[in-house]
Amino acid sequence: MKHLKRFALLALVPLLAQAHHSFAIYDSAHQMTIEGTVKEFQWTNPHVWIHVMVKNDQGTEEEWNVECTSVNFLERRGWSKHTFKAGDKVSITLSPLRDGSKGGSFRTVNRINGAVPKFEAED
Amino acid sequence: MNQPFTSRRWLLPALFTSAWLQLAAAATPTLGPLYADPAHADLSGLWLVSGGFYFAPDRSVPKLLGEYKTTYARRTEAFNKGIAIDDLTADCLPAGMPHLLTVPYPFELMQTPGRVTFLYEYDSVVRRVPTDGSAVKPDPDKATYHGNSWGHWEGDTLVVETVNVRPDTQLDFTGIPHSDALHITERWHRKDAKTLENTITLTDPTAFAEPFTTTRTYQLKPKWKIAEYVCEENNRNARDEQGHTSGGAPARK
Repeated sequence: MKHLKRFALLALVPLLAQAHHSFAIYDSAHQMTIEGTVKEFQWTNPHVWIHVMVKNDQGTEEEWNVECTSVNFLERRGWSKHTFKAGDKVSITLSPLRDGSKGGSFRTVNRINGAVPKFEAED
Repeated sequence: MNQPFTSRRWLLPALFTSAWLQLAAAATPTLGPLYADPAHADLSGLWLVSGGFYFAPDRSVPKLLGEYKTTYARRTEAFNKGIAIDDLTADCLPAGMPHLLTVPYPFELMQTPGRVTFLYEYDSVVRRVPTDGSAVKPDPDKATYHGNSWGHWEGDTLVVETVNVRPDTQLDFTGIPHSDALHITERWHRKDAKTLENTITLTDPTAFAEPFTTTRTYQLKPKWKIAEYVCEENNRNARDEQGHTSGGAPARK
């Protein structure tokens, strides 16, 4: 029988970024979407980080730090160190930092360079 | 007339075939438990907790006493303001016991005669649980993050006792405190082929008005492998001068 592969659309799978520390710093009850250009992708433990340059209302670029779960957690959901690269145009939904800093806890990635990404989850 | 199967004509080839099959069986590992102890129920395998980040899936909390009640109220108040305090894990220190039982990373349960070993992906922690009749005397002077454990079997249930846990660890990420008098009892059994159930009872006469019990389940992940997890690799959440968990502003050098 053909092995069935399970494809998880990350946009449909809310992921909690918190895995090694308290999640008090994020406003988990709220989500917002940022659109911008990836400056840096840190494929590291205990957390994976996506730095995104986002234009504010005044047209000035600001750097947002998006905290994801761990390499271990995301690798099993089909991510790799090549999932994002500098220069990628992205749309990401996050739960913002409660202190108002430019950052948040990763929820979903809606688009990478215009395409809806698909990731192969590990059973 | 048909030759009987046991005639001399078949005997030699049959013996060869039998010997070859035995060799083949010895050379090919049998699929099944990797580390089972044949004397006991098989709980071995790679397991992942279900039911979320809170120590109890229903988010209930032990009935806290005195200063422990005050401490938790202070942590909850800060938490609700977006501030995490007293959180050792922000500095990559261990979650400790019993928090380790609910971290969202898999562990491998390995059974050998006289011992059960829990091999955790999270922080690469190892818990060695002797089941040879030995026990540990409570001694607050010897407290560690994960304490000292020992166990025994009651039928198909593995019972693990743990004492000597450091009082600065918390039950979960909401900051539920305990004292150095904490005694953890885990009752592990295989609910079905793919599910382990662990009924956890916490007794802490110093911090809790009464024993607290919750049940956690774990799903079998036969295709997974334990991976490396080094928290110090790029930790951007270390506590600041006020002891608050950082939001990760400084980028990796």
